[in-house]
Amino acid sequence: MKVLADKDMCVGAGQCAMLAERVFTQDEDDGTVVVLQPVPPPADEEDARQAVLVCPSGALTLAES
Amino acid sequence: MTTAEAPQLPFDRPDALAAAPIFTRLRAQGPVVRVITPAGDPAWLVTSYDAVREVFRDRRFGRSHPAPEQAARISHAAIQDGPSGNFETEEADHKRMRRMLAPAFSAPRMRALDKRVTEIATELLDAMEAQHAADPDQPVDLYTALAFPLPVLVICELLGVPYEDREMFADLSERIAIFDGGADARQAMADFNAYMRRLAEVKRADPKPDVISDMVQVQREAPDFTDDDLANLAAGLLFAGHETTATRLCLGTLLLLTDLDRRDAFAADPDGQVNDAVEEILRLTVTGGVGLLRYAHEDVEVEGVHIARGDAVLVSIESANRDESVFDSPDEYDPHRTPNVHVAFGHGAHVCIGANLARTELRTVFPMIFKRFPGLTLAKPLDQIAVRKNRVAGGVDEVPVTW
Repeated sequence: MKVLADKDMCVGAGQCAMLAERVFTQDEDDGTVVVLQPVPPPADEEDARQAVLVCPSGALTLAES
Repeated sequence: MTTAEAPQLPFDRPDALAAAPIFTRLRAQGPVVRVITPAGDPAWLVTSYDAVREVFRDRRFGRSHPAPEQAARISHAAIQDGPSGNFETEEADHKRMRRMLAPAFSAPRMRALDKRVTEIATELLDAMEAQHAADPDQPVDLYTALAFPLPVLVICELLGVPYEDREMFADLSERIAIFDGGADARQAMADFNAYMRRLAEVKRADPKPDVISDMVQVQREAPDFTDDDLANLAAGLLFAGHETTATRLCLGTLLLLTDLDRRDAFAADPDGQVNDAVEEILRLTVTGGVGLLRYAHEDVEVEGVHIARGDAVLVSIESANRDESVFDSPDEYDPHRTPNVHVAFGHGAHVCIGANLARTELRTVFPMIFKRFPGLTLAKPLDQIAVRKNRVAGGVDEVPVTW
């Protein structure tokens, strides 16, 4: 599983960084998404999936492999 | 649009935790249906989960109106009552506002706040315990003792609002949000705005590490962000920062206490269960009965329904979160739902900026309540706890508990 983020679409709500804190964080200056682990380890996959589904702006997508 | 047979908001609910039964019928009728607002004007109500997410994401819907004086009114409160913002510049204004505020409400900053939330909650729970010890036969009101003061204290610290002023702004917060408030609601909004202007003046002279000082700083570089804009935004954050979280704490507690097996299951391992429990509490509880307001900025087709430019659209989070096509047994509390993609904080560009603040407070406080009082019970049956039907943010007036 791979996580992709489009910073231009991101509205900086940070729900991903709360729901999957080991996979995502936020830029300190503008709050937009920063991907910490583009390929989340198995233990974080479920949280990462929830975060992508919740993403309010559609900035996050998931490529399952 | 015609108004024949369209039901009028707000809808009756049997108790503080149940959804209005009419939503089930309206979802069956269609994803977008006609309703009458509390003010008596026609509007569209978006009922299905998919349509709710679609409308929230569609930039052709906004908070402003192409001809504000002709817009359908929602209520006679002073917030969410009608159009707001400038039709020409809304999107740019909103983007600037988000960029300005997003870092202050980011997940890392909210997580760092966790320790402070714990300290505040500990003091409030200590006081609650002392109150009960002094008069064990008397129930304690969890709303007054914890659910209200906790989010107020936290948002005051974040924004840089003096907590000593709480009675004044609690009164203003209540009055601006009464559906039939009318002139009194407008007066309260004007007073709220004036209070925030004075506070901004204080921060201008003596900036502190808080959100109102940040806004004053932004204003230096963006003169079209007026004193009035700043004051309204600050008042909005203060209002939203405590009313909604207080309601969630009350309703979440009610949800756990109305089924003692549910309470015991949570109390057996609060830390292990709280994240999932909070998401399910967010899905099932409601902080307002009429939905979030948008106006169509052009003609839009939503799932086959034609919405004309200027029409008012009420987006029902409450209905979406109980949509049976998305959530199995939608009225059941089930903390094991995976994934639980509710829309309690909205969706799209206007999604709640305080979502992570709310999550931090709820995730911290629920375990503290049930570790301290694992045998907590309701001192009154649910159907005797009055629901605030006349308020923008909904909620209850009391949560009487004992142990």
